Amino acid sequence: MTNGTDILLVEDSQEDADLAIHALQRERLANNIFIARDGEEALDFLFCRGAFSERSFDAPPKLVLLDLKLPKVNGIEVLKQVKGDPRTSTIPVVILTSSKEDKDLLVSYGLGVNSYIQKPVDFDQFRETVKTVGLYWLVVNQQLNGVKKAAGQASS
Amino acid sequence: MNRARSRASEGDDAIPLAPSPTGSPIDTLLERRVSWGFIVALLLTIFMGYSSWRSARLSANDSDWVVHTYAVMARLESAHQHTNEVETSARAFALLGEKSFLAHYVDARETLAKDKSEIRRLTSDNRIQQRRLDTLDVQVRAAIEYASEMVGQRQDMGAATGTREALKLEHLTDEVRATTQEMLDEETRLLNERSQKTEAQRRSTGFIVTTGVFLGAVLLTVAWFAVRREIGVSARGRVELSTLNAELEERVQQRTAALQSEIIERTQALQEVADQKFALDQHAIVATTDVQGTITYVNDKFCDISKYSRQELVGQNHRILNSSHHPKEFFQQMYHTIANGQVWRAEICNRAKDGSIYWVDTTIVPFVGPEGKPRQYVAIRADITERKRSEEALRESLATSKVALKELADQKFALDQHAIVATTDVQGTITYVNDKFCDISKYSRQELVGQNHRILNSSHHPKEFFQQMYHTIANGQVWRDEIRNRAKDGSIYWVDTTVVPFLDAYGKPRQYMAIRADITERKLAEHEILKLTEELEQRVRERTIQLEEINKELEAFTYSVAHDLRAPLRHIGGFSKLLVEDFGATLDPEARKYLERVQEGTVKMGRLVDELLGLARVGRQSLNLQATGLSSIVAEVVSLLDPETKGRQIEWKIAKLPFVDCDPTLMKQVFQNLISNALKYSRPRPQTVIEIGEIHKDGEAVIFVRDNGVGFNMKYSDKLFGVFQRLHRVEDFEGTGVGLATVHRIIQKHQGRVWAEAELDRGATFYFTIGSVDRAAPNAQAAIAGAQL
Repeated sequence: MTNGTDILLVEDSQEDADLAIHALQRERLANNIFIARDGEEALDFLFCRGAFSERSFDAPPKLVLLDLKLPKVNGIEVLKQVKGDPRTSTIPVVILTSSKEDKDLLVSYGLGVNSYIQKPVDFDQFRETVKTVGLYWLVVNQQLNGVKKAAGQASS
Repeated sequence: MNRARSRASEGDDAIPLAPSPTGSPIDTLLERRVSWGFIVALLLTIFMGYSSWRSARLSANDSDWVVHTYAVMARLESAHQHTNEVETSARAFALLGEKSFLAHYVDARETLAKDKSEIRRLTSDNRIQQRRLDTLDVQVRAAIEYASEMVGQRQDMGAATGTREALKLEHLTDEVRATTQEMLDEETRLLNERSQKTEAQRRSTGFIVTTGVFLGAVLLTVAWFAVRREIGVSARGRVELSTLNAELEERVQQRTAALQSEIIERTQALQEVADQKFALDQHAIVATTDVQGTITYVNDKFCDISKYSRQELVGQNHRILNSSHHPKEFFQQMYHTIANGQVWRAEICNRAKDGSIYWVDTTIVPFVGPEGKPRQYVAIRADITERKRSEEALRESLATSKVALKELADQKFALDQHAIVATTDVQGTITYVNDKFCDISKYSRQELVGQNHRILNSSHHPKEFFQQMYHTIANGQVWRDEIRNRAKDGSIYWVDTTVVPFLDAYGKPRQYMAIRADITERKLAEHEILKLTEELEQRVRERTIQLEEINKELEAFTYSVAHDLRAPLRHIGGFSKLLVEDFGATLDPEARKYLERVQEGTVKMGRLVDELLGLARVGRQSLNLQATGLSSIVAEVVSLLDPETKGRQIEWKIAKLPFVDCDPTLMKQVFQNLISNALKYSRPRPQTVIEIGEIHKDGEAVIFVRDNGVGFNMKYSDKLFGVFQRLHRVEDFEGTGVGLATVHRIIQKHQGRVWAEAELDRGATFYFTIGSVDRAAPNAQAAIAGAQL
């Protein structure tokens, strides 16, 4: 299940995770979705270590939906490590959070986040947002996978 | 040149005259004395010579007499002897008849006769002796006659003479002998007499000679002293004379040198005169006039100051410049002076062409023609207008200073009554202290005067403190500070000290005056205050730390609200929505309605939370000031609110708005709130009129947003800008009561004011100003605003 993952959803709230999955399912985008419940798990998943050591950098998720307020390692730290490491820096990361703090926005964009979205309180709007994001990054946006493989071979 | 000449003439006067031949009275007196001395000495010598000569003569005379007497006496002796021989020889012959006695008798008789005649010759001057001699003659003749008779009788009779005859002869010869003896006695008496006389004469001569020698010695001694003194005087005179000669020679050399340098100077001066004329024209105001006072020449500076051109001046009388300041006599005196060929100098007040007054220091030099009358005048002037002005100012200030002097005396008294006063010399030695000084320092005046001020040093201030003080006052500047001193009894007192240096003519301090006020109590109070302030500051620091902690907590809280409060809302909304969607068909219509209510509630609460967070953010955010055109912000907001205006009749009256320094994002929120309020509360009007513009009130730009909506009662206007305060029911007008609070907070952050005027059902107008914002301290304000939340 962890290999060939399309979306890594990093979300500590089960309710939010459920609502997000529900929204994605309606658009048939939740077939290959993995949910990490804290920052540490997300980092282990992305850096193929710990419980995810059998994973390969060659098959990264097509999209990471990242909450900021997370147990253990917060979202900003996760973002920093992902974008700071050449092996993971090309993975699209979209922050999906309740916070609309200027500080969070500035730091996130500074670290190279691909998109920053505040979770709307209204469920309809939330669903619409999740749908748009999912469709955009998984369908509309041109993936880097093929190119990256070639580059990875060249470097090894 | 002048200097040289005057020096030469001084030299002439200074040569002293040689002593006059007539001599001084002292010299004459001395000379007369010496002459008299010599005359007396001469007379004395003559007298002595005469005395000696006379004495010698007398003595010789006397000696002659003595010799004469001795001769007489010798003859008398001889006569006496021969008388005896006659008697004895005659008697012997007569007795013995021996012929040898006869011859002897004849010889004796002859010799006696010779003696007798000799005696007569010798005693010719003495009548008494002559008479005795006569007697003797008779006696001798008788004796001889008798002897001859006896001799004859012997010869003739050859008989011896009897004794009686011999006795008679003896008797006769005795008589002769008695007479000769008388004569001898007489001569002896004479001899004694003459010897005595000669002795007296010798004594008198000795006395005269001794006295003469003594007097001569005295006179010679006096003469020697007099002459010696005279010799000393004349020697000094010779030295003085030679000194004078040397001086005179030096003077002559100096004079020669002076004359030579004068010649050089004159030559140079001639060259300089040309330069000086040029320089004079550059520097001074120069004009020449003829004897009538008509201007014949003016230089450029004259034209400059008088404002007349040269053409306007030349040919005019000097009166053209008269300012009427000086009386007629002033100029009369001037003309009188210069007409007499004398230089005149005074300060003249003139009027320039433009009427302005100027002062010139004027020197008029008359140039005299061959016949001794002035042929032209040259006037050299210096502009002293500025100086005159300052003099005027000085006069005024002098007048005031007279009054001031009296006041000063009063003030000195008042000062001594009020302040602690001391003066020191430049070394810091106390020269004067007033009573108050003694009171506070506990020293007596005697103990202080003559001491250095260090006597009061309490060792409180660092060395640099006093160094700085001395540096300041030594430079002639007033120094003021608070000094902690130690009194005689060791007690500490504080004085507010002002040290004023008094300067001499060269600007150097000659003494210092220190005026002090006792501030000990204030200092103690200050110390107390300082302590309290420190405590207070400590507390403020503690509070600030607490506040910062609270602020952090608040931020954390806000963050939590944003994140945690919204999440459950979303969950409630989300799942109730899913319930309706997924299981709506199986639900009771009533249940579906409740679920819709739940969703509405979550939406409403979501908005409330968002607005609250917006308000909090305003407080925490720092202002990002930019020069912003308010018109463009209004236009943007109006277009943003376009959806709300659908289907409504709205008349926008938007005037041109100014550019202001503000945070554009926040300013957008202000207009968004105000305009959306205006739209909301005017919704009941069939024709909504919204007016946005600018008015000026008390020189301040005021922006307003006006609507013709339902308005409100002004008695609730104080609640208008409070959080969650609403003047309308939610049923009539939706809202959270956060919007105007946000507006208030934003305007406050811009140092502006916001207020409203309204009347129930007759519309409302919201006004606000944007004050001058201190760009430097937005963070501090942000912190405070954050703490207020």
